[in-house]
Amino acid sequence: MSREKILEVKDLTVSFNTYAGKVQAVRGNTFDLYKGEVLAIVGESGSGKSVTVKTLMGIAGNNAVIERGTAMYKGQDLTKNTEKDWEKIRGREIAMIFQDPLSSLNPIKKIGKQIAEIFTILHKMPKDEAKKRSLELMEAVGIPEPEKRYEQYPFNFSGGMRQRIVIAIALASNPTILICDEPTTALDVTIQAQVLHLIGDLQKNTGVSTIFITHDLGVVAHVADRIAVMYAGKIVEYGTAEDIFYNPQHPYTWSLMASMPDTDLSSEEELYSLQGTPPNMLHPPEGDAFAERNQWALKIDFEEDPPMFKVSDTHYASTWLLHPNAPKVDRPALLDRRIANSMKRKEARANG
Amino acid sequence: MLRYTLQRLVAACFTMLVIIVVVFFVLHSMPGDILDLSPKLDPAIRQAMLSKYHLDEPLIVQFGYTMRDYLHLDFGYSLKVRPGVPVFDVILERLAITIQLNYFAAFFILPVGMIFGITMAIKKDSLYDVIASSVVILLISVPSFVLAAVMQYYLGFKLEWFPLVLATEHKLTWTKFYSMIMPILALSFGSIASIARTLRAELAEVLTMDFMLLAKAKGLTYGQTITGHALRNACVPLSATFLYLFLGVLSSSLVIEQIFGVPGLSKTMISAINGKDHWLTMGIVIFYVMIGLLMAILADLSYGVIDPRIRMGGKKDE
Repeated sequence: MSREKILEVKDLTVSFNTYAGKVQAVRGNTFDLYKGEVLAIVGESGSGKSVTVKTLMGIAGNNAVIERGTAMYKGQDLTKNTEKDWEKIRGREIAMIFQDPLSSLNPIKKIGKQIAEIFTILHKMPKDEAKKRSLELMEAVGIPEPEKRYEQYPFNFSGGMRQRIVIAIALASNPTILICDEPTTALDVTIQAQVLHLIGDLQKNTGVSTIFITHDLGVVAHVADRIAVMYAGKIVEYGTAEDIFYNPQHPYTWSLMASMPDTDLSSEEELYSLQGTPPNMLHPPEGDAFAERNQWALKIDFEEDPPMFKVSDTHYASTWLLHPNAPKVDRPALLDRRIANSMKRKEARANG
Repeated sequence: MLRYTLQRLVAACFTMLVIIVVVFFVLHSMPGDILDLSPKLDPAIRQAMLSKYHLDEPLIVQFGYTMRDYLHLDFGYSLKVRPGVPVFDVILERLAITIQLNYFAAFFILPVGMIFGITMAIKKDSLYDVIASSVVILLISVPSFVLAAVMQYYLGFKLEWFPLVLATEHKLTWTKFYSMIMPILALSFGSIASIARTLRAELAEVLTMDFMLLAKAKGLTYGQTITGHALRNACVPLSATFLYLFLGVLSSSLVIEQIFGVPGLSKTMISAINGKDHWLTMGIVIFYVMIGLLMAILADLSYGVIDPRIRMGGKKDE
């Protein structure tokens, strides 16, 4: 790995002070973002994906406390940033595409003005130049008739169109890092594909380093270079997309993959679903947070949190099953069949 | 938009008619004699006056005469408060000081109320917010005439900072304005409190919305997100509140003008009611109702100016 590291997050720990107590939303995340790559963070709702990235933009909320850890960006530790420092980073260096395009645009401000204000306020451009740049951006994200649309309000736009505008806003200042926080979750399936393609194309054209958050592995497969799987505030496995899809090691990753619907599934077979609920992060369990739902859990899983075990140079997983002394456990047969199938498909594609 | 405005105007005319009918019959059903001028009045003269003003005819016929005159924009003459002066002229003459008072109050209310509302929303749940909120509740609960009396006693009588009653000069000079300060304050406090409270609630809600997060993520500073995105959204419900508040100021000036001896329209109206000067009362009521109805229409139209979603009537043109 000789590629340039853009962002280096080490042991990031974030908790929220609530009336009920301290909610440990993110517990010691460590990951890097390399220049020009797409890093996907996958996990179920409440696993701390959004909090992790919102912390990287300083918008995690007033009651969020960074307990430990560093996030180095251009020689600067983002976790130490004051509001003044953040104002120089947000939008200009790190930009974000939000989950719900229906509520993330100001409902009573013209679409054009919401884009153009970035140029006029942040970049001190004259009005007509800002408008010209905004129209170019709208064109780039595939808004037909940008001149007409410029004068319209968000309620004149459909969900997909609004998300395109949100994307345009995120890309307006040519950020170094683009964070996509479940950008397609609130959209219907056909629009999801379009928006994903758009983000993919823009990412390739601009080479912006991207952190892509989703709970949908199907989405990840299309866009990600590397994948980090999060559970209960921790990254439990990370590696390249190939590592994760063809050689998953962590039992949680196994269940995520097994519960993905697939065209090879015959009609008699029931889709796998993971039993139980994620732990309450007010009082995270001792040992491995996943142990309770893990059918392969060992005794040590309930006592001690597993460290990251190295699988390969690019692939790490945090499960005691990888410990040299651990019993040999086979992946579920269903999953093995699925991996074999998708590898076959991939070879077929590669051979034309 | 035009159609809507016309609809509202027609509806307003209808409301006006209903109010005129009610006020006319209520006034004329008041006990007592309209022409209780003097016990020594010659019965012949009295009879002549009664027939001159059609007062000897059935009430419904009198109403007919009154309406006919109103249609010709003739509001009749004042009988007792300003004997022989046309009602229209009385209103014009007394209007100036009332309007002055109310406009000063209105222009004082809006900025001060907004400043308090905005700062309270931004510093929500801080000590400042708690104290300011308590004061706001106090000012909303205490009627303006109580405040007026309290101020008159402490600021006017004890401390002698301000004159007790309005200066008698006709022109708006510094002395006159100075003597207007207490009535203006008495008129404003309640409305300032309402505005501050509404704006605090609205702005605090807007601040938690998703688009504020996006505005922040764009790279705007906190101040820029407030002025550029939050304020206008918070002002949508405020626009209507403000115009209605202005009406409230107008009606509380009924009492305030009495307390501070302001020779305004409201004081005239109270003398007119007490003196059974029905045409003058009617004239002033019609004037107030007209202002009220226009304000209501303006308030509804102002929603559309601020919020495009209302302007379009909810229609999507896609």
